[in-house]
Amino acid sequence: MGAATRRIDPPPFYGELFARERTRLPGHGRAALDRVREEAFTRFLGLGLPTQKAEAWKYSPITRLANREMALAEPTVPGLEEVSAWFGGGPATRRLIFVDGHLQPEFSHVGGLPAGVRVMGLARAIETIPEAVAEALAGCDPERAFSQLNAALTRSGAWIELADGVALEEPLQLLFLHRGGDSAVMTHPRIVIRLGRGARLHLLETHAGSGSGHCFVNLVGQAVLGDGAELLCDRLQLGGSGLSLLARGFLEMGAGARLRATTVALGSGFLRNEIELRLAGREGEAILSGLYMPRGEEHVDTLVRIHHEAENCHSDQFYKGVVEDRARAAFAGKIIVHRGAQKTNAYQANNNLLLSDRAEVNSKPELEIYADDVKCSHGATCGDLDPEALFYLRARGLAREVASSLLVYAFANEVIERMADARLQALTRRAMLERVPGGAALEAEGLL
Amino acid sequence: MKNMLRIEELRVTVEGKEILKGVTLEVGAGEVHAVMGPNGSGKSTLAYVLAGREGYEVTGGRVLFLGQDLLAMEPEERAAAGLFLAMQYPVEIPGVSNMYFLRQAMNAVRKARGEPEIAAGAFMKMLREKARLVGIRDELLKRDVNTGFSGGEKKRNEILQLAMLEPKLAVLDETDSGLDIDALKAVAEAVNSLRGPDRAFLVITHYQRLLEHIEPDHVHVMVDGRIRRSGGKELALELERHGYEQFAAAAA
Repeated sequence: MGAATRRIDPPPFYGELFARERTRLPGHGRAALDRVREEAFTRFLGLGLPTQKAEAWKYSPITRLANREMALAEPTVPGLEEVSAWFGGGPATRRLIFVDGHLQPEFSHVGGLPAGVRVMGLARAIETIPEAVAEALAGCDPERAFSQLNAALTRSGAWIELADGVALEEPLQLLFLHRGGDSAVMTHPRIVIRLGRGARLHLLETHAGSGSGHCFVNLVGQAVLGDGAELLCDRLQLGGSGLSLLARGFLEMGAGARLRATTVALGSGFLRNEIELRLAGREGEAILSGLYMPRGEEHVDTLVRIHHEAENCHSDQFYKGVVEDRARAAFAGKIIVHRGAQKTNAYQANNNLLLSDRAEVNSKPELEIYADDVKCSHGATCGDLDPEALFYLRARGLAREVASSLLVYAFANEVIERMADARLQALTRRAMLERVPGGAALEAEGLL
Repeated sequence: MKNMLRIEELRVTVEGKEILKGVTLEVGAGEVHAVMGPNGSGKSTLAYVLAGREGYEVTGGRVLFLGQDLLAMEPEERAAAGLFLAMQYPVEIPGVSNMYFLRQAMNAVRKARGEPEIAAGAFMKMLREKARLVGIRDELLKRDVNTGFSGGEKKRNEILQLAMLEPKLAVLDETDSGLDIDALKAVAEAVNSLRGPDRAFLVITHYQRLLEHIEPDHVHVMVDGRIRRSGGKELALELERHGYEQFAAAAA
């Protein structure tokens, strides 16, 4: 396949949009930042939009979505209930709240954090530490078109920095509400996380959107975990048919650093999560869990790449999917054990339940190993409910439909149980159960 | 004696192979029957067919449970009618708490019998009491169904379900396999405490050891898909001394 068919030129509206908006972006006029944006946009044009002929996008109809003419979303103000419905954490939880990509200062609250913790909106970071922001934007993901587009057009997001040894015990929430509008819009949020040596952060990231208007969210997150740092991350994504969320996370981990991330991508018109992770120091540990549950005509896909670059690291991918109706899901997980990364432990499991004949899942586990003393395994399953479990429940008196619902719930709940924040977990579980056929009856009988 | 279970000339095929070749057995209310036999004799097949597991083709005979045609019923209908199978290999169900599962099962059975649901308080009280009876730690009740349970804990959990659901006929399929002596005693004690004039047991086992603790009224020897001999509890002792070979020779 020639390179020409793996990409297409971005449609002209992107150029027009960049020419129109660049002077309205935060920090415009700062030479370093302007240059980074300019270069990023040029790179984006050169890289082009990936087609489904490109391996990483094989099952992901992104181009159809990114090809439509869109404008940057204008700010709107939601009611408090619309926002608070998605609150995780506890009474002391700090939150940055974004509505259609705009930071909402009236709902956000990040004051009173301990010394050594810096949390602010991206626009604020551009004002206070412009060089650092320019450097962060410039250094991330040079070969990925959407990351470059994000670098060129981002105007909001979060800057989160914890100094060496600082722990933020209460979770910090990034709450995104994607309302969309009558016309197609896009947003390009950017999240930058810097954890010093031994620093500890519990992050909640939620995306919700109820609108049917086309709203394309091109999110890029980048995190650097210093030696011994720890990042706990609970994520929930649930949107309407109009929401297309493309979420990319790029993480670098130092020696002994630990990551535990649970991503529950229940569904929306289009959801894609990418995680690219470098275990760059010895004895790093990354546990990535995920659940997707598309239904109707929804699409959810996941791409994980874990680079084992140092000795004695451990990575574990645990992804599950429940796919119903005519929905489609894809999972591609790759473990790359680099030369010298001896004593690597790397596991991957991707299990799928197909609840309808017309549902589709594509699962692609991959291992690339260049070291000889490693333990790696992967497994993928795709099928129906376990007949043994079904019989067990029925033999105890549960009607076939109830037993089936309960097993679907249980299957999905195994991932949700890995979320660390109780409130977000409860909220997620409720939203999940709503997607289980017959789930309402289980809820009525006191399941939750 | 009130007749509870009546198996007549039951023939069952699994994947084209005949496993049960005409089994006839009657169990009356209040009785404890043991079915013993070597591996592969069809004991577990009998248990699964009674409970309604898929994959078994009944090619002849019939089974009446309290006068109803058992084989025409769905597994959940059998449970509601009062049949309980304590399984040889209890299934792990990660994601569903043991406690929730028990309450669902209880209420499903009660609902099918036209009884009201059990109140949360009464359920908890009963659960604690029965858990103590079978020797299950409170912590296991909160865990997911059988998930991470040891072999012995799984078997105790089966007996806990039996105690909670209060069936009319309990089939115990090799409940003794994989149990150490303490667990075996605890399970047997629990079963004995559940014996009563309205409840019957069908205890399926390879070894006589369980029957030292659960004393049967009748013992049946199953070999090659047929009951070869029936007798009193002394038959179990005879088997312990002489083994199944005498029957295997007869069947060959």
